[in-house]
Amino acid sequence: MADAREIGALRYSVAIAEEPHVCCVRVSGPDAFDVADHLSPAELFVVDGQMRHTLLLHDDGRPLADVLFCCDDEDFVLLAEGPTTPELMAYIRDHLPEDARDVELEDLEETHAMVSLHGPYAWELMAELEGPEVIGVPYLTFFHSDAWTCFRAGKTGEYGYHLLVPSASLEEVRSRIEAAGRAFGLGHAGLEALDQCALENWFFNIRREGQANATPIELQLQWRVSYRKDYVGSEALKTRRREGPRARLTTLVGEAPMAVGDRVMLDGRPIGSVVNAGYSLIRRDWIGLALIDLPWAQPGIERYHVEQGTVRVPVRTVAPPVIRNRSLYVDPREHTYALRHEQTYPPLVEGVPEPWDEAGESRGHNADLHPETGREKEDTEPVTGVRSDQGGRA
Amino acid sequence: MDKELLERISKRDEALERLKTWIIRQVRLRRDPDEIDPDTPLFGSGLGLDSVDAVELVIGLETEFGVRFPSEEPARAAMRTVNSLLDYVLEMKEGSDG
Repeated sequence: MADAREIGALRYSVAIAEEPHVCCVRVSGPDAFDVADHLSPAELFVVDGQMRHTLLLHDDGRPLADVLFCCDDEDFVLLAEGPTTPELMAYIRDHLPEDARDVELEDLEETHAMVSLHGPYAWELMAELEGPEVIGVPYLTFFHSDAWTCFRAGKTGEYGYHLLVPSASLEEVRSRIEAAGRAFGLGHAGLEALDQCALENWFFNIRREGQANATPIELQLQWRVSYRKDYVGSEALKTRRREGPRARLTTLVGEAPMAVGDRVMLDGRPIGSVVNAGYSLIRRDWIGLALIDLPWAQPGIERYHVEQGTVRVPVRTVAPPVIRNRSLYVDPREHTYALRHEQTYPPLVEGVPEPWDEAGESRGHNADLHPETGREKEDTEPVTGVRSDQGGRA
Repeated sequence: MDKELLERISKRDEALERLKTWIIRQVRLRRDPDEIDPDTPLFGSGLGLDSVDAVELVIGLETEFGVRFPSEEPARAAMRTVNSLLDYVLEMKEGSDG
């Protein structure tokens, strides 16, 4: 269960996160572009300072890594989640194209560390740290400055910045961020909170649904691949496309717990299985991702159950994202964190009270929320054990 | 199996194919309809559309589907993915038909 304070900072102000789960490798040398192009399932139509969000694939088309290819002059920097850095470097070496082997690989984690800022006011903290021009930096671009390399990206649905910082100055940078962040409600966020936000916002998670033995076709990630070029895994993917997918990743919501491995049932017949799940403190219900057989993989259906043993949980399929992020409505040209209570924003979820926001800053950090469920204390029942054969909330 | 559910799924699939084909034409994407997954984000990542494309879509939706956005807020909420846009189109059409 993600921590309520961390989710509160991510969704309502700004959170700093350590990112040891992100590998960072520089590919340089005369053949750097050819190697990157051979590995990238997406067309690498990028110029210096631009990034392309794609995947690295196994030969059978399953994803190995969730990756950003960052074009840095003649080099490419790969920011990857999934493999360890040694695994990533071994993958690159094992898949060098025959006619393009003149590259050097540099593990940037040996000399740098990655921290990130996420939240509807992350841009304002970044402007305080870096200068107002940072507000205009487009999504999926990056720049170098004295303190760091700043990558404008994120997987929370909020404004996001990844900062690649020299290890020697990491503590100083962190202190600067924390000092400046006090004016913007800065909190900390761990991987569990980041993963929960990714789940709410339909960002692919290589550690969860990425382990489901599925290709980008079933995972609804075809926007990250091209069928008009050759790359590692492209033949398998083209074959799968010709055959047609048998299942598709689909978002479920329900009022009782669901877990990875639970079966999705229709009229007593299994039609899929849950591959990612978590309790949403913002929505106050459970969210799951399931690989559901076609044609049943469609939003707006209330006929399915998730089944674990004899326990049945009614679920509804929905079109993600399942929250309306505050970042959709916070405009850096007009809004500030300091005056946030003077603004009216649409609720993150229609009909669900927002205890963090409505109650102001004192409760903005969880004063009256149950530490595990994030619900108001007087409203809390243990989440575990509420399942019944009827699947309703206890 | 359940005939009513299958019919409903089939109707939505037809509407989805129509919407995807229209989006490809409207913003001139180099993609086939089957390459566009239903939950593909429209802006930022995903199809990578921009603010000019957003205007094209908003204007075109009225012409093609008879659907308009009363203000900016519902447009922002609806135009996140292909499926969320389809939800909005179907909801609006259902409202006007009913």
